[in-house]
Amino acid sequence: MKVSLNWIKEYTSVKVSIDDLVQKIGAQLGEVEEVTDLGKRYEGIVVAKVVTCEKHPNADKLHVCTIDDGGAAKHVTRNAKGHVQVVCGAPNVAVGLHVAWLPPGVTVPSTVEKDPFVLEAREIRGEMSNGMLASASELDISDDHSGIVTLESTIKPGTSFAQAVGFDDYIIDIENKMFTHRPDLFGELGLAREIAGIQHQKFESPNWYRKAVTEQRQGKKLSLKVKNELPALSPRFMAVAVSDVTVKPSPVWLQAYLSRVGIRPINNIVDVTNYIMMLTGQPLHAYDHDRLCEQDGTSAATLVVRHPAKGEELKLLNGKTITPRREAIMIASAKKLVGVGGVIGGADTEVSETTKNIVIECASFDMYSVRKTSMEHGIFTDAVTRFNKGQSSKQNDVVLAHAVEMILDLCPDAGIAGSYHDLKSAKAQDNATKGVTVSSDFVNERLGSKLSLKEMATLLENVEFKIVSVPADKTRLHVIPPFWRTDIEIPEDVVEEIGRLYGYDKLPLLLPTRGIEPAPHNSLLDFQNTLRTLLARAGANEVLTYTFVHGNLFEKVGQDPQNAYQLSNALSPELQYYRQSLAPSLLDKVHSNLKSDIVRGDDNEFVIFEINPVFGKDLKDKDRLPVEDLRLAVVFAADEKTYTRKYEGAAYYMARHYADSLFDFLGISTKYKPATEHHPDQPISRAAIAPFDVDRAAIITSTTDEFLGEIGEFSAPTRRAFKLPPATAGFELDVRQLMRVAAQNPGYTPLSRFPKVVQDITLRVKNEVSYQELHSTVQAALHDLVQDSMMVVVGEPRIYRSEEDTHHKHVTFRLWVSDSTRTLKAEVVNSLLDSVATASESLGAERV
Amino acid sequence: MSYKNKKVADVAEVLKTRLDQLEDPTTILRAAELRGLYAEIPLLPAEDRRDFGQEINHLKRELEELVNKKQDTLQALPLIDVTAPIDSNVSDAKRPRLLASSQGSRHPLMKEIEVISDIFYRMGFAVEGSRQIDDEYHMFDSLNFPAGHPARDDYDTFVTTDGFIAPAHTSTMQNRVLKKYRPNLDSSGSIAVLIPDRVFRNEDLDARHEHTFYQFEGIFVGKGINVGHLLATLKTFLSAYYEQDLEVKTQPFYFPFTEPSFEFAMSCPFCQKNGCNVCSYSGWIELLGCGLIHPNVLSMAGIDPKEYTGFAWGGGVDRLVMMKYGIEDVRHFESGKLEFLRQFK
Repeated sequence: MKVSLNWIKEYTSVKVSIDDLVQKIGAQLGEVEEVTDLGKRYEGIVVAKVVTCEKHPNADKLHVCTIDDGGAAKHVTRNAKGHVQVVCGAPNVAVGLHVAWLPPGVTVPSTVEKDPFVLEAREIRGEMSNGMLASASELDISDDHSGIVTLESTIKPGTSFAQAVGFDDYIIDIENKMFTHRPDLFGELGLAREIAGIQHQKFESPNWYRKAVTEQRQGKKLSLKVKNELPALSPRFMAVAVSDVTVKPSPVWLQAYLSRVGIRPINNIVDVTNYIMMLTGQPLHAYDHDRLCEQDGTSAATLVVRHPAKGEELKLLNGKTITPRREAIMIASAKKLVGVGGVIGGADTEVSETTKNIVIECASFDMYSVRKTSMEHGIFTDAVTRFNKGQSSKQNDVVLAHAVEMILDLCPDAGIAGSYHDLKSAKAQDNATKGVTVSSDFVNERLGSKLSLKEMATLLENVEFKIVSVPADKTRLHVIPPFWRTDIEIPEDVVEEIGRLYGYDKLPLLLPTRGIEPAPHNSLLDFQNTLRTLLARAGANEVLTYTFVHGNLFEKVGQDPQNAYQLSNALSPELQYYRQSLAPSLLDKVHSNLKSDIVRGDDNEFVIFEINPVFGKDLKDKDRLPVEDLRLAVVFAADEKTYTRKYEGAAYYMARHYADSLFDFLGISTKYKPATEHHPDQPISRAAIAPFDVDRAAIITSTTDEFLGEIGEFSAPTRRAFKLPPATAGFELDVRQLMRVAAQNPGYTPLSRFPKVVQDITLRVKNEVSYQELHSTVQAALHDLVQDSMMVVVGEPRIYRSEEDTHHKHVTFRLWVSDSTRTLKAEVVNSLLDSVATASESLGAERV
Repeated sequence: MSYKNKKVADVAEVLKTRLDQLEDPTTILRAAELRGLYAEIPLLPAEDRRDFGQEINHLKRELEELVNKKQDTLQALPLIDVTAPIDSNVSDAKRPRLLASSQGSRHPLMKEIEVISDIFYRMGFAVEGSRQIDDEYHMFDSLNFPAGHPARDDYDTFVTTDGFIAPAHTSTMQNRVLKKYRPNLDSSGSIAVLIPDRVFRNEDLDARHEHTFYQFEGIFVGKGINVGHLLATLKTFLSAYYEQDLEVKTQPFYFPFTEPSFEFAMSCPFCQKNGCNVCSYSGWIELLGCGLIHPNVLSMAGIDPKEYTGFAWGGGVDRLVMMKYGIEDVRHFESGKLEFLRQFK
């Protein structure tokens, strides 16, 4: 919202410098986006009177004029009478006119922003021209360049043009967002009141705003009928007809008002409605009375507030034709739609240069309905900006009367053509102002201030709140907000008002006090930090990727899109669904990183990980909200050259090594089950395993069969989709489960005073016997055999398959055997190994 | 798949048969017959071109599928025992091992959240996570946004086809957190919670705007809590975070869930108000939104606003990190670029 300093000064005084005012507005009203020194743009432009005007000897359309500038311009050639010669091409130039003269050295205002054009004294077809006489377009007032601007003859030649029309102004642009709940601040009058308030000055609304003007010039009578079928959506609908108006461009002073606050002038009638809107925040609309009649084929104009009929169309002022939404508030003549209430007018009843009689509407519309209609049809106008803040319906009468007054001033032949129509719903008639009662303690407690009741009352009265003292109570105020303050409903609203008007920057800063109870830990967040630290220490890089994924990602990795939450207003197809698992998001980062500079070099390999939730429609909590399934995904990738140089075996085992190291860090024992034996029912679990190659993937559980996650290499379609190198593998874990299992970490085993015995045992088994089976059998045998005081630790195995016998493998376990009560004898250990070997015979194993 | 056009059908049959005999199945995609079909398109009457072209494209796609399948079987990897911790016949020198610690890294946003959380934890705040999918009640209703209110438009939220919302602010947790810690009011007398987490805005990406970013929300509720407490708490945090004494100031703002509401700015910690790039030579940096919690928000969480008052704030983590390290483009954060990530140990 643009504040014109000159405009608000008509209603309040400003006693501080512009810089201080801007700073004060920032601290007490809202963020200032921009301050424009308008006067600077018009510097040097002077009001001059045309003294002589002759046809140019060498050009048909040009005139050679001499002008009287009261001697204002310096460094300019003058004739004997002290006048200056200017060549002018405008058709309307004539002797006696008061015009805006741009002397040499001045920049044409309309060019300031783009490509500044500085005038000079130069010959035009052989005649010297000192600068130029300017049109409204060149002065950046409107788009009109049909002729030069003419000013009132009362303005003395030599006066600064900026001063003459109010362009010696500062425009302070305040962010609209601040005023979401302040409809009154969408008008200069409201802004003036507020600026008085923050300067601790008393503000008084002008007379015309407090009581509607009643005595107005009567004109030719016209018939106007008004009907409101939607009193709930349009609580107040006012209209009045004015006859014999003369539609033409507004006088420059009026155009200048609008131009200063960013509104393009159109014609005097429309300009008055816009002027009043910019002043009071209440949008108005003017209709061509005779066009309304023509539409209906009668001599009486009708305005009806109603919903559109099915399929009914309306051509809008902006040239578009719409079929309004069925719930929209429409304005219609007896037969046809003529406007979208509170949004935009219709093209067919627009006020134009041929208009003789008009109807002016000043109505109130439901903010929610206006907003919906505006959004649905994508129409955003100054009227919408104001109506969707909830303008009070209590100012319609004074606003309409003031608008009519201005039109009668501008059109000497015009007059009121009938009575004011005023359709009010019960709500709009309700004049009861309840008000809010607050105590000084209530206010001071919330602000941390020490204001007296009287100080509070003064701050509020400055901006026209009524303070009614509560009888026999010196601690409380009864505050009655003015009607335009629709935002004041509860005592806290009064607190804000007092704090703001007083100045928050004057409040003392003090930390709150609290007891010394320790703040609780968040074990889940702590656990995630542990995982991050562990993985980073293990050379892995944490990435964050988007929660939203492309629908075709599901297709690529074999996940069911039906189970994914879909955005209805996605930015692009890339970001259309909530992801169902984490690993694919990491796989998406593999190819680009392998190709990038950072990892190119000797070792082109990396491990990336992410902790974030995944989502599936099948998981809902007790409140029917989606469960956020927190996952950790880790992916290893290396280019082929690096991998074969550094490692042997399948990439799967690289992922295994990371997983096992992580479990080791966390003190978790795990089991691995081939993914081919895993047939989950839940769609979200199916989605988790989908990207993996089931033949080269496993399910990870705790030793007590609690599910932890999936690990493996990725399926052929997945590898193709993400252009993955063969050496890519990863795992995805359920973080909450992992934390639960990690919490069961057995902890500490006392150290033995006796030496450990280290012994290897190698077992030869058929390939079909899985390592897990063999390992479990060995562990079970040891568990049965080992006495209480003994402890056996099974170390990392070695697995060997000879070229001669590819059907068998040799698995070597290294056992660390100790006893807390004695030094172990060789026989004890040997018999232990024998028993292990015997037990493994059940799997067809043979000791070598 | 069957083809309506006889020519295409014929070529399809020929190529499919040939595919079985090829050593390198990908050569089928460059077969002369296929190219021949494409070459015919421009010779056809204009009205037939579309259908014919579509048929050839179908054929090409079918062949690609078949080639993929064939390659998958040709390139089938040797069986592995997924239950084993290591492959067979791996020499000691070439066993899998962890990468060098020195190249590991935590994400800068997560690291910063830890730093922020730690300061507030020391100040007595509990830390909670937020949600990435929520309902309208928590995102709007419980925060005193009336249904259909234009203030909802300011949040540019993503919504799902089932009516869930990708939260546009961590305030979506306020109601839950207030309820969870409500018993504190009886014992220690105050609720103090920090909520740092991921949020979403329906905004086009550029160097300064992300649709996915991180916020840190703070809530404090107790008896006699006032605006001065809010400002002092934030000032204390920022001074600890930047390890220097900072000035703070506010601008009135409007949020439905706080009353009064402010935009909060600190004096620039990078130039001590002398003017620099970071603060655009203004000496001040606008940092976050804050205010006293609206009584309706407290009531909806079962806290009596007559007895208790509180404050809340929400600020962006990404911005703090960008300013701290001089990061030029917010898109780096979610890019997964190791070149970027490995700089943050």
